[in-house]
Amino acid sequence: MRIFSTDHKVVGLQYGWTSLTFLLLGFLLILLIRWQLAWPADPLPLGGLLGAGNAPGGFMLPEFYNQLGAMHGTIMVFLAVVPLAVGAFGNYLIPLMIGAPDMAFPRLNMLSYWIYLMAGLVMLASFFLPGGAANSGWTAYPPLSILATSGQTAWLVGMFLLIVSSLFASINIIVTILQLRAPGMTMMTLPFFVWSQLVTSFLLLLAFPPLQAAAILQLMDRLAGTSFFLPSGLVVSGQALAVSGGGSPILWQHLFWFLAHPEVYVLILPAFGIVAEVITTSTRKPLWGYRGMVGAALFMGFMSFLVWAHHMFLTGMGPTMSAFFQVTTMIISVPSVIILSSLVLSLHGGSIRFTVPALFALAFLPMFGIGGLTGLPLGLAASDIPLHDTYYVIGHFHYIVAPGTLFALFAGIYHWFPRISGRLLDERLGRWHFWGSLITMNLIFMPMFAQGLAGLNRRLFDGGRTYAASAGFEFTYELQAWAAVALGLVQLFFIVNLILTLRKPRTAPDNPWQSTTREWQGRS
Amino acid sequence: MSGHAPIPYTTEPRADTGVSNVTMGFWLFIASEVMLFGALFSSYALLRVSAEDWPVGREVLHLGLGSINTMVLVWVLVLMSRTRRARVGHYRPLVLAASALALVFLAMKGFEYRTEWVEGVRPATNTFFAMYFTLTGLHALHVVGGLIANMWILAGASSVGEAMTRGRLQAVTRYWAFVDLVWLTIFVGLYLL
Repeated sequence: MRIFSTDHKVVGLQYGWTSLTFLLLGFLLILLIRWQLAWPADPLPLGGLLGAGNAPGGFMLPEFYNQLGAMHGTIMVFLAVVPLAVGAFGNYLIPLMIGAPDMAFPRLNMLSYWIYLMAGLVMLASFFLPGGAANSGWTAYPPLSILATSGQTAWLVGMFLLIVSSLFASINIIVTILQLRAPGMTMMTLPFFVWSQLVTSFLLLLAFPPLQAAAILQLMDRLAGTSFFLPSGLVVSGQALAVSGGGSPILWQHLFWFLAHPEVYVLILPAFGIVAEVITTSTRKPLWGYRGMVGAALFMGFMSFLVWAHHMFLTGMGPTMSAFFQVTTMIISVPSVIILSSLVLSLHGGSIRFTVPALFALAFLPMFGIGGLTGLPLGLAASDIPLHDTYYVIGHFHYIVAPGTLFALFAGIYHWFPRISGRLLDERLGRWHFWGSLITMNLIFMPMFAQGLAGLNRRLFDGGRTYAASAGFEFTYELQAWAAVALGLVQLFFIVNLILTLRKPRTAPDNPWQSTTREWQGRS
Repeated sequence: MSGHAPIPYTTEPRADTGVSNVTMGFWLFIASEVMLFGALFSSYALLRVSAEDWPVGREVLHLGLGSINTMVLVWVLVLMSRTRRARVGHYRPLVLAASALALVFLAMKGFEYRTEWVEGVRPATNTFFAMYFTLTGLHALHVVGGLIANMWILAGASSVGEAMTRGRLQAVTRYWAFVDLVWLTIFVGLYLL
């Protein structure tokens, strides 16, 4: 396997291994956070290793906590989940599923991976800058982000590179699907997985550039002293800020969420695609309502550009705007329900084989359901106001992304591993991995709804111990910390499984799940 | 599947989509560029309408230099679009002339920046100039990109053959049209309005 390869399979695998590494890193950051939230008054075990600048005597500094929070979000969303879902699965499988010799622009494909890696390294290196990594949240709201330490500049540069990488990847995927389909393969005979990648790529193509624009403006604010996002008369630490002012912090929020809401669908659409493939294979049935699902995916992609300001109900944008975004938000829940219902109905009358990929795919359905339903109160301005920025929000989107998207990605890894490596992953270790992850993730995320409803805010380095709302919740924090440790241990089953299986001979049959889709027909 | 089959439709159109891979990829790239500049122009509009007072571009910018540069950039596009009709191998002087004009644009833009710098104008002066330097700077980078693409076409012409070079010329000409369009928007939005 050449390092600088233009082969879609090699690029896909490079994306896969790199993004799995980032997934682990992002998880390790949150492990520190969960421990800190459970026992804020005690030193962290092995906390001395974090350095005296971050955790003197093992006691985590709030400044370092902020870095962990910002970088956990950034790494998980931009460096782990999306590159795994699109870069790895998309690159590896799309050409095989549509009968194309490779991606349409192989060299661009290779470039896209290396720019992504560079972006990731810039992000990681920022931990070693004076003042550490970005510490203004993964949303990088100004004015805080503009006044922040130099880690924020690295974050913006990293983001800029990532957007270039995702631009190359999305152009490549769209052109490959539309142009390189095998002769006679019409759009309505494409596997649903390919459709999900197509819609996702359009979102990446069109939603990311506004964030790139926003990153340029924020870089100007930080480096050239402009005031795009700095209002007039800003006073910091008792001193009037010496800038021209006249900017708008809200402008950043608009530009950011114009990307970041479609981004949510970038996180979930490939997951739907993978789950659809795994479910049809393990129920021995075609997809129920394929056309409806394709239509729903397209509609969802379109609508995702019209809902962004439901993240901004608290900015005082007025009831008319709120009403508009409430309505669009309620509308966009319809296609999600269509897809989820179709997937559930696809099980009906099937003879389900409960293999490891099937378990992950089946668990995805109720877990995504919880994530989706708990999102509704957040989409309505009246109920969002008390819930905004509380742990309720964190619980909601983690149900979507962790036992939701991540489970789908695990399902995909177990499902296509024999296609990729010629070896079947061990079922028993896989089951331990599945049940362990399912239980521990629920123990981590379920209490967040109660914490949020009680009014506990996110992003507090002591878990809000100084607020009355935290009374009685110490136990839940400790439960979450232990569950997070257990979740980490359970991932060892997966890692060991990967290592052990890769050392075995290639004994898997050509089509171990008796799948009928094209990527399993004919060995290569 | 080692040493895979050649990728079809790289330059020749596919029957059911009607375009080649390069053409489709190019339009997708332009779509993302529209979103990039669209976001910047929207930011400009939002900041301007919410500002208490806003300088008049005609009065604070060098309208003469801007106007000449507008003409220069239009001529770049005119010359590039002539390559389409040029006989085999005859596009070379056209591309070279267009590239020389693009250099003139950059030189004049640089002169304009220098004049403003001497006058004491900085991006930090106010939000108008912040937007001016950001937009024109990003646009200038796109001109540099176009120049590089022009040179790349000329350098590769002998090795990739006539059909491929024609395809590249067409794509890059469209790119210059986009660069012109962005400039006209900047010119109207910042210099005139």
